Formats: sequence, C-alpha cells, structure tokens
Amino acid sequence: MTTVVAPDEGLVRAAVDLVWSTMLFATVEPWPSGLDAALADGVRATIELQGDWNGRLALTCPAGLAGEIAGAMIGTAAADLSAEDVHDALGEVVNVVGGTVKGALGGELALGLPDVRPCAADEATDEATDGGFVLGWNGAPIHVQVLAGRP
Amino acid sequence: MRALIVDDSRVMRRIVGKLLEEVGYDVVEAGDGAEAVAVLEGSAELPVLACVDWNMPVMDGLTFVGEVRRRPEWRSVTLMMVTTESEQEQIVRALAAGAHEYLIKPFTGEALLEKLDLLGLLPARTGSGA
Repeated sequence: MTTVVAPDEGLVRAAVDLVWSTMLFATVEPWPSGLDAALADGVRATIELQGDWNGRLALTCPAGLAGEIAGAMIGTAAADLSAEDVHDALGEVVNVVGGTVKGALGGELALGLPDVRPCAADEATDEATDGGFVLGWNGAPIHVQVLAGRP
Repeated sequence: MRALIVDDSRVMRRIVGKLLEEVGYDVVEAGDGAEAVAVLEGSAELPVLACVDWNMPVMDGLTFVGEVRRRPEWRSVTLMMVTTESEQEQIVRALAAGAHEYLIKPFTGEALLEKLDLLGLLPARTGSGA
C-alpha cells in the first residue's frame, strides 16, 4: 500500500516552475518578503485531488495578471482576450500543475476538473492550508496553496 | 490533412491547433468526447489525427478512444492522448484502449512535433513552435 502525504512546497513549486517555463516561456520568482502581496480583485483557480490524499491546489492572482498569463500562453495581447479565455487559461494552468503534482505523489489519485472564479480580497490567505507560498510574475503576486480535505 | 483536437480547455485547443496549422493541418475542435464523436459522425472527410485530452466533462478521453476503436469505419484515425495523466499505469491504460501515442502536459511544441514525426504524420515542418 502506498502512503501519500500532502504535497510539500518544493513539489508544488517545481510543478509551477515547469508549467511557467513550458507553457508561458517565463520564470516565476519568490515574492519579496517585504512586499505587500494582498489582492484587491483576485481570480482563483482550484483543482481537486481525491484518493490516497484528498485536497485541493489553488492558485490566486490579480485579475490583471490572470490576463497576462492567458496572453503569454496563447501568444496574444491580454487586452484582446475575453474573460472566458482568461478563466480558461488559468484553469488549464492549475490543471497541469495539479496533474504534475499528482504524477509526482504517486499512489491512487484522481484529478478533478479545474474551477475558476473571482475571489474576495482575503480569500487567498484566509482559508486554512496545509501549505502555501507566494510567487511573483510580471510584478504581481501569485498565491499558491495546498488545501487539505474536500471543499 | 485534418486533425481533431478534443480538449475541454479552449486555450489548449487554440495552442495545439496553432501548432498543427503551422505544419499544414486543417484543424477541427471538440470540447469533450461526446462532441468529438458527433464531429466524426458528421465528417465527410475523417481526420487522420485526433489529439485527445483525458479529463473532460460529459465524455472523457479514455472513453472516447474506446468509442473510436469500437467503430471499424473510424479505424484510420490515429489517436494521441495529450494529458496531464503522467503515471505509467495510465499510459498503459490509454494504449491498451487504442491510443497510438501519448504526450504529457505540459509539453513543448517541439515535443508535439516529435510525436507527429514518430507517427509519420508530420506533413511539413515549417517551424519548431514552442
């Protein structure tokens, strides 16, 4: 029997790095500790893992940055994209991060479908987590969280 | 040559579609397996290639692969899974169900073209993509 523990920061960070380099042709950096990472108008993408470990991975970033992420993926200016395109792109990012984490964890795990929605200002930091960290890209924060248990 | 892209992510369909168009494919899209079945049923000219995501609503990619393989009239369609499912067990399941190739997300454009080359389905290499 395989024992699966919650994905740790190193594993999730590696998955995010891989997605950024492969799908956005860019690199993310740790968010500077002295800089405010609060979100005024965020977009939150989550994906659920079920099986030997039950929980969710969540990526939350400002709406403007979500547009830049979508633009980098598609190779189009963010201003030319619809809200649907932006949500779809962020959903695919968390889907691939989740799939990469799932593959690295091993054990019996099933990946859910991504969920993307606008989030309240403090939602990215208020929910109890099994781990989380903040990355930065294009001068804006990306909150990455590991949320144990089912929603 | 025609290619069918089956993925619930519109963005992924655009990304894969752009890469395929760059090497000469005419691309048709479907947002899930059931929609892809409808596309094939309505096709006067079958695609030579279908790039199929695994995790989709309505009908997932593995079920779609099984459905295509169940129909003798669709035997000419080459099936390539393009998915985040990276475990060896899942790859074996997909190949056993009838997929010809398997590409794990995230992937580079180069990796996609290499898979096409392996399948003998790279019509004209006009750029490396990314």
